[in-house]
Amino acid sequence: MVEKLTAAIEETMETQVVFTIPIFGGIPVSSSVVVTWIIMAVIILLSIIFTRNLKLVPDKKQVIIEAFVSFLRNFCRDQVGEKGMRYFPYLSTVLIYLGFSNLIGLFGFIPPTKDLNVTAALALMSIILIEVAGIRAKGTKGWLKSFTKPVAIITPLNVLEIGIRPLSLCMRLFGNILAATIIMEMLKAIVPVFIPVVFSLYFDIFDGLIQAYVFVFLTSLYIEEAIDVEE
Amino acid sequence: MSVAIGAAIAVLTGIGAGIGIGIATGKAVEAIARQPEAKKDIRSSLILGCALAEATAIYGLIVALLILFFL
Repeated sequence: MVEKLTAAIEETMETQVVFTIPIFGGIPVSSSVVVTWIIMAVIILLSIIFTRNLKLVPDKKQVIIEAFVSFLRNFCRDQVGEKGMRYFPYLSTVLIYLGFSNLIGLFGFIPPTKDLNVTAALALMSIILIEVAGIRAKGTKGWLKSFTKPVAIITPLNVLEIGIRPLSLCMRLFGNILAATIIMEMLKAIVPVFIPVVFSLYFDIFDGLIQAYVFVFLTSLYIEEAIDVEE
Repeated sequence: MSVAIGAAIAVLTGIGAGIGIGIATGKAVEAIARQPEAKKDIRSSLILGCALAEATAIYGLIVALLILFFL
């Protein structure tokens, strides 16, 4: 029993290398990259299918996609405000990608967000975008000055936050998805019938979507804070 | 053996997160009962608070896994 559980945990912990590109002494391509390619292909295909033949009077297909896009726009407008809608494409892209990648465990693929490298890259993209948004909105001088707000004594904490924010964004997503995958693997190792289906509803669908939401929510919250100019 | 005990202690961080999220959710339910029209705002701040509170539990889990596999 214990050996079975240990094997299940060890299997989920390691990152699988699918194949190696035979240049520069071999570049290993891990499964998260391959699954990301699959997600990209699916999203691109869906975008092409849904945005072909757009009409002024929408048909059924177009109504669905219009409802979806306006849902995303409203969600972002609520978080970042009218000024921040410039960052809507990035936020919605990350939301769609994370939604797909957290749900892809249902189809038997390994979720790419279970790989620490993927979440670290996403968190780095987010923190760079946040700081650039701050610089654009306030100017370099205003951006530097914003570190001393609200009181000068907490400047070190504000500087530390540049490092802490992406770290916690990255670890939160990675830890949640990893924990969910480990628990599912352990369940499958002990009771292979029926019980995993029930838990999969929570761990794969609910938790995955909540984490995608939380990642984008926090990113947009930080952006909103960064572009908030005091008069 | 001592490695496993260390990992178990690290995972105890989950207690704090559990209590914190429980209190936050209870307060949110109270707030919604008092002011049902503010449901949307309450829900989004609840999710934010839960996400931040939960982070400590996640750190504990990651530390436990690091202890188990790299010590």
